[in-house]
Amino acid sequence: MTFDQGIPDFGEWLFGGFVVSLIRVALLIVGGFLIGFLISSARRGPVEGFYSVSKVIASSVVDLINWSVPRTIAMAMLAVQEAIRRRVLIAFVVFVVIILFAGWYLDVQSDNPARLYLSFVLTASNYLVVLLALFLSTFSLPADIKNRTIYTVVTKPVRSWEIVLGRILGFVTVGTMLLVPMAIVSYFFVARGLSHDHTVAQVEAASAGDVTHEGETSFDSHHRHTFKMYSDGTGETDVVTSHWHQVTKSGDGDSAAYEFGPPIGLLQARVPVFGSLRFKDRAGADTAKGINVGHEWSYRSYIEGGTLAAAIWTFEGVTPQRYPDGFDLEMNLRVFRTFKGDMEKGILGSIVLRNPDPSAKVRRSEAINFTAKEFSSDKQTIPKSIRVVDNQDGSIRDGDLFDLVDSEGQIEVWVQCGERAQYYGMAERDVYILDHDAPFIANLAKGYVGIWLQMVMVTAFGVMFSTFLSGAVAMMATLSSIVIGYFSTFILDVATGTQQGGGPLEALYRILTQSNVQVDLEIGQAPTSVIQGFDMVFMMFMRAMAGLLPNYSKFSTTQYVAYGYNIDGTLLSIQLITAFCYVFGVSLIAYYLLKNREIAA
Amino acid sequence: MADQVAEAAPSSADDKPQAESDVVIETRNLSKVYRDFWGRQKVQALKALDLEVRKGEIFGLLGPNGSGKSTTIKLLLGLLFPTSGEALIFGRDSSDVGKNERIGYLPEESYLYKFLNAVETLDFYGRLFDMPADVRADRVNELITMVGLDWAKRRQLKEYSKGMTRRIGLAQALINDPELVLLDEPTSGLDPLGTREMKDLILRLRDEGKTVVMCSHLLADVQDVCDRIAILHQGELKELGRVDTLLTVKDMTQVRAESLTKEAEEEIRAVIEKHGGNLVAMENPTTTLEELFLNIVRDSDEKPGRRSTQDG
Repeated sequence: MTFDQGIPDFGEWLFGGFVVSLIRVALLIVGGFLIGFLISSARRGPVEGFYSVSKVIASSVVDLINWSVPRTIAMAMLAVQEAIRRRVLIAFVVFVVIILFAGWYLDVQSDNPARLYLSFVLTASNYLVVLLALFLSTFSLPADIKNRTIYTVVTKPVRSWEIVLGRILGFVTVGTMLLVPMAIVSYFFVARGLSHDHTVAQVEAASAGDVTHEGETSFDSHHRHTFKMYSDGTGETDVVTSHWHQVTKSGDGDSAAYEFGPPIGLLQARVPVFGSLRFKDRAGADTAKGINVGHEWSYRSYIEGGTLAAAIWTFEGVTPQRYPDGFDLEMNLRVFRTFKGDMEKGILGSIVLRNPDPSAKVRRSEAINFTAKEFSSDKQTIPKSIRVVDNQDGSIRDGDLFDLVDSEGQIEVWVQCGERAQYYGMAERDVYILDHDAPFIANLAKGYVGIWLQMVMVTAFGVMFSTFLSGAVAMMATLSSIVIGYFSTFILDVATGTQQGGGPLEALYRILTQSNVQVDLEIGQAPTSVIQGFDMVFMMFMRAMAGLLPNYSKFSTTQYVAYGYNIDGTLLSIQLITAFCYVFGVSLIAYYLLKNREIAA
Repeated sequence: MADQVAEAAPSSADDKPQAESDVVIETRNLSKVYRDFWGRQKVQALKALDLEVRKGEIFGLLGPNGSGKSTTIKLLLGLLFPTSGEALIFGRDSSDVGKNERIGYLPEESYLYKFLNAVETLDFYGRLFDMPADVRADRVNELITMVGLDWAKRRQLKEYSKGMTRRIGLAQALINDPELVLLDEPTSGLDPLGTREMKDLILRLRDEGKTVVMCSHLLADVQDVCDRIAILHQGELKELGRVDTLLTVKDMTQVRAESLTKEAEEEIRAVIEKHGGNLVAMENPTTTLEELFLNIVRDSDEKPGRRSTQDG
């Protein structure tokens, strides 16, 4: 997993994207009233037009003043009762059945079973709950209107706002009633599915340094480990399928017994601490970006091996209180080879830790050599006691990691590629310090919050569409909004022309005539302009839709949980605020639609 | 007819002083045009209706199917928006949700949530009026007893017969002790006994000082309970006035007597002829079928198991 989607800085997000969006929405609302005014002016003259628009605004204010929470709750309770009596809780049974049979099709020999199990349960819960929200929210109100049960409700002092909000609240309650047990079942399914232990298969004495014994474990859960015992009676296994066990020894000689602890490293929530990245070019001069090695992935830029080119991360807040024993550095570097070399071997590189303060007593550490593992994370442990280079004579001596940290708690990590004519590729979020792990259960819960928020938004959209469309049509509309929402990144790429091949009509023409996306259309000036003109209008529409609808993939944090990364508080707050704004805005639209709908027509 | 309409119209001068406080419903030039999806006119369901309903009366809207009775009630409730004109209830616009605090509405068919039972249904509607829990519980029990559904109050409404649904529908319309009750075909789906109970109840509501507006195409029902009626046909008001006035046949005299001999009847014929009158009928009167049916049921309740000896 890479963090290329990125976790934006909260302030940047708030004042950059969010406030701008809010202003746009406010403009949309004002525009809506303006259009309403123009339409009714055209029909009945400007005085009447002004009167009817101000009447709408005034009655909304009255509705807001008279908003009653008990009534809203009554509407919500009705929605819950309706859903339960329609036996929607069956969805939970479906989930349990899927889980029960999951063992049949989940690859037991996976390299990373935790990732597999977690992706599976989270994806299953996500789809089921979103689907449930879709069906619940879109069919209820149209059924009420069709059966005319709504007549007995709207002739009571119920405001449209309460009907809309009550529905959303009720269905969200039902969804939550399903999601919470799903989350609990998921946790136990994953925890039980991954828990296993081993017994000793064979062990023999060894005398390499501190190691007293070496051995092999039994073959359990489709794998076996080798293990080493140290003189103090403790030991550890190697890492197989992303986990290892602690080993303790009791007794001596022939009566020695080895005991293996539970698997470690499967269910974790690593906390990455990101730094900021800058580059040095091959001559050692400062540069904003590295080398672009082609269109392959413009997100990363590259540094050349065997030169002075370096990628420099600056990390903040590196204090002895936070990292008393040093820290782990995790790297996800990409490699670009200009010649093949030995594919089995990685590309060599080095890390140097430097003090950003030029007048520091200790300027840099000894180079730590490593081999870049392409396509997998590489962990480097930086201990507290570290070999440093003396400022005066350049000799290497023992030193302390925190001598390399300046007075503001900053430290620089210089990464260089060691091999000539080979390149390392990196982006800011590819190298980070690992803070202490966060509790896994909390992280799983945060992953489920993401799913929950998706459900809440789908419910709001479903209720909104169902205020003016019939059940099946409302469902299709909501489904479309979900599809656009999940693929909005791609749709925006198409709409802005980042994706080659033109808009939908041009793409269709190219598919039918099997013409390459890079060649010009060879059908003459006029037809080309017609096609591209149509596409331009359609692409503007696509852009507007993808920009307006929620990007659901931003709420899907299942990857974080599955890959064992902690879901950052910033990300969660952004999700919460965004979802709240969508729900509020969509409810407001639903309110106006329902209020101005002729219920009995 | 024209002068009767004028009498009800708000413009009428001598109506004004008392109307101010007593008028519960007032429609001015109320019209409704149903349009299709493209905005083309489909039906003119109601044409410039001017009505006034005063506090404490039972007002009947009468007319054949499709004459605009239900449209009028829906316009009054804000379920439909007028194409032109306006409808005022308690002096407030019909689109004002606040007016619903004082209104009870029984729709044409009781459109209720089938998955709730009687108690849950009434409790739900009580909550919509923000009634405190204890008041609500009392009111729910009281109403269930009043409509005679104590024995079935925990059964889901989907198991209810049409008459039972109608009763619970009436109960929900009265949950807030409304000042104005709008009843759309109140007796539809009820058996004769239920019809009579409904009519008694409507009269009782009036006696309690409530205003009742009902629409029906069952003339007998309207005749029995309404103080004033409006007759609609094809969306137009055809007749409006007090029931007793409207039904009095001014050029006809009815004589009803008991224990007359044949000779006495002959004598009466002679008298009528002598005065130049035209005898239309002289016969033994028939009762209404409703009366007959109710008598049989009452009789059978008193002496169960026996075939009725009622002659008729």
